[in-house]
Amino acid sequence: MIDRVLEAARAKVDGADALWRREEQTAVSFESGRLKAAAISEEAGLNLRVLASGRMGVAGTTAAKPDPAELVARARSSAELGEVVELTFPQAPGSQLPPIPTFFDRTANASLDDLIHMGRMLVERLARPDCQVNVAVQREVADTAVGNTAGARGQYRGTGIAVTADITRIAGDDVLMVYDQYVGADMPSDADLEALVRSVETRLTAALKIVAPPDGALPVVFTPAGLAAIVLPLEQALSGKTVLQGSSPLAGKIGEMLFDERLSIVDDPLTPGRPSSRPIDDECVPSRATGLVERGVVGRFVYDLETAARARTQSTGNGRRGIFGKPHIGYTNVLIRGTDGTAPLPSHALGGGLIGDIDDGLIVDDLIGVGQGNVISGAFSHPVGLAYRVQRGEITGRVKDAAVAGNAYDLLKRIGGFGTDGRWLGARYSPSLLLEGVSVASR
Amino acid sequence: MKDRLAAAVKQSRADYTEIRVERTWSSAVAFRGRRLETATVSEDQGGFVRVLNKGCGWGIASFTSLDELPAMVARATELSRAVRVDDPIRLADTRPEVGDAVLELDGDVRGVSLAEKKKLLDRYNGAMLAVSSQIVDTQSSYRDEVSEVWYVNSEGASLYQLRPEVVVSGTAIARRNGNIEKGLESIGLRKGWNSVQNFEPQFRVVAQRAVDLLEAPRVRGGAYPVILDNELAGVFIHEAFGHLSEADFVYENPQAREMMTLGRRFGKPVLNVGDNGAAKGLRGTLPYDDEGTPTQDTPLIKEGILVGRLHSRETAAKLGERPTGNARAISFRHPPIVRMTNTYIAPGKKGVGFNDLIQDLKLGVYACGAFGGQTMLENFSFTAGWGYMIRDGKVAELVKDVVLAGNLFKTLDRIDHIAGDFTWNQMGGGCGKGGQFPLPVTEGAPHVRIEEALIGGDV
Repeated sequence: MIDRVLEAARAKVDGADALWRREEQTAVSFESGRLKAAAISEEAGLNLRVLASGRMGVAGTTAAKPDPAELVARARSSAELGEVVELTFPQAPGSQLPPIPTFFDRTANASLDDLIHMGRMLVERLARPDCQVNVAVQREVADTAVGNTAGARGQYRGTGIAVTADITRIAGDDVLMVYDQYVGADMPSDADLEALVRSVETRLTAALKIVAPPDGALPVVFTPAGLAAIVLPLEQALSGKTVLQGSSPLAGKIGEMLFDERLSIVDDPLTPGRPSSRPIDDECVPSRATGLVERGVVGRFVYDLETAARARTQSTGNGRRGIFGKPHIGYTNVLIRGTDGTAPLPSHALGGGLIGDIDDGLIVDDLIGVGQGNVISGAFSHPVGLAYRVQRGEITGRVKDAAVAGNAYDLLKRIGGFGTDGRWLGARYSPSLLLEGVSVASR
Repeated sequence: MKDRLAAAVKQSRADYTEIRVERTWSSAVAFRGRRLETATVSEDQGGFVRVLNKGCGWGIASFTSLDELPAMVARATELSRAVRVDDPIRLADTRPEVGDAVLELDGDVRGVSLAEKKKLLDRYNGAMLAVSSQIVDTQSSYRDEVSEVWYVNSEGASLYQLRPEVVVSGTAIARRNGNIEKGLESIGLRKGWNSVQNFEPQFRVVAQRAVDLLEAPRVRGGAYPVILDNELAGVFIHEAFGHLSEADFVYENPQAREMMTLGRRFGKPVLNVGDNGAAKGLRGTLPYDDEGTPTQDTPLIKEGILVGRLHSRETAAKLGERPTGNARAISFRHPPIVRMTNTYIAPGKKGVGFNDLIQDLKLGVYACGAFGGQTMLENFSFTAGWGYMIRDGKVAELVKDVVLAGNLFKTLDRIDHIAGDFTWNQMGGGCGKGGQFPLPVTEGAPHVRIEEALIGGDV
């Protein structure tokens, strides 16, 4: 399909690239402990970008048998209004694409019954009196093909599976919700599912007792899940796009030590076993890792072809595109690590082994409203969704009716500690981080 | 198309079968700063099949290849049969509706060139950029669509709906040294081209506010009396209460049902709340929901007492109540789930205005506009676009980073004054739930006073 569309484009425009993707999903869902539905979805689509008279245009379609001429015509009329871009499509790479397994037979071949069985096992393990358990298992198989008129081609087949489990406990007007997930390209092992059960259990048990929240500027452990509010501003600020627009606080800061000297953040599309890993990006750029922050120093920003051309630099292979709209910058796997030389022993303890020295503070596992507000400024202020009070080095219970606030850039200048609980959560890997002087407001 | 769907339904071997097919024509233009990002026309189409069998759960298939329709009905039936359930799924009875519902296009967007749409957005974007040299960036977008939806089920329902939509949004980003602030304008209407003209002044206002916020102090965290403006009061009722009134939250959960027992007091007698999918001409308005049920005005809180909730056919059957026309799906890619439409706080006494709400306050916060809101069951957060301190009964200095955090039950009960100045706020964006975002909804409210609410921020 790609070849036919690129061929049709070649005669009409100066250059073009395209992505074709077909996705098949199978999902089962358990509501309140009961199997409720099984669903499949099949979707295929094609996205075309053209350069005509130096201007860029795009068109997409989900039609079963797209008409290449119509698609090219639509992309050309989009280009008539488009901006001039000095974009060069990458040529066929001289060497082979980096080897990265994206397809796992076990995932692709799992039957509906296998998925139901896995879900049922989790429901049974998590069942408790007066608690409602929801479980969903979703498996995806996707074929991707990319190509351009400069001769580059790439295609791969990928699998992904997401297992999510949540427990809701309502006692009077107190609503407690604990959630966790397994996401991978390969099926979860028994140990993975066991870890999921234990994670939910641990956080539920510690939350049963409600205690008064503290007040003031306090040490707070952000769990891998709780870290979203801290990481989101950085992800936005490290995007080449916001740098180009002048709205990134990190613009012009490459090479400067702005964070704790142990903090490293890398975007790595070649991480084994992750569903976001792939050998080539959606614009035919071969995949490679990008050091975003290296030992506290701002490393590189991420770019797609267009923003790289405008910034007069190279694409980092972070081009992503859907069926509609133009390619944009997307992270793949973001890994946050403390590089102090010692590899910590893995642990599933809540707080990642960071609470021993806390006299009074919090563990934050979930915040409400992350992503709203003025994210890129680094300032955040959120009520807690799930948080625990730590007193004299021990978790004393769950706190409610409290809000935490601070500035991500300031807080990451000095990190009190990296937890021993590094783990994947979706496409992000991180341990818990202990941050000092986080503003906690209660009532 | 209806005949094609009816034929596929007829061939189905399942006890209950429904098919929804959508064809959506859309165009989009976006600017970032002075630079055009995209100008595109898209056509998206696909189908959704959902079936039920006795003793079995839902079997669901969604697909982009409509040629596969009969095969997809068969596959959905197989999936349903694989899902054995002890507790049968029932659907509340509804009269099978037959008909065509074509909403007013108010200037068919399909007849307007992409170049004209670019010109319109360029004007709004330019209006923001021209406000000050401190406006360093903008994000502006225009999007329209005309969606055709066919719905047929095995009970005899057969519907065709034409749903237009147009959204114009702009974010102005102001920067001075390391300080960055933003202002947001968004207009979302279930209408067409004529309805989005002449909004330059509104875009100028938000850009100026972003500049003003650069100088404004952060609000000091703590508990205050808080006045919500119409927009934020609407977001508040949607987030804090609306989601709990969606019956899929309670229908399988005895504890939740107890918490949301009809007849429970939720607020003072001034408080009246409802959801009206049949309101005329709003973005959340639909003649029929995605199960073919007609929409309606559903009272949720009457004089402070919980009186109703929002239903799909499945949740209504389970709770022995009537479907309310709130089963909605964002597209053929998703099943219908219980969602809001146009959710409102009804106006208080006529003639009661904003000044009546603040005159007896020594210190308070006037929270305005909404950057967003999220609820986690009984806890919620919403982020105001900006705010003012209220001092000695008067509006005082502009403040920023106004985030309200709260507990639903306490906060609803603390609403002590409601003004008479009701407005619907038709914004773009939409509501997210169960992986379905953005669903077009509208919120409406007058100015509302909360005796005491927690404002996050530095302490």
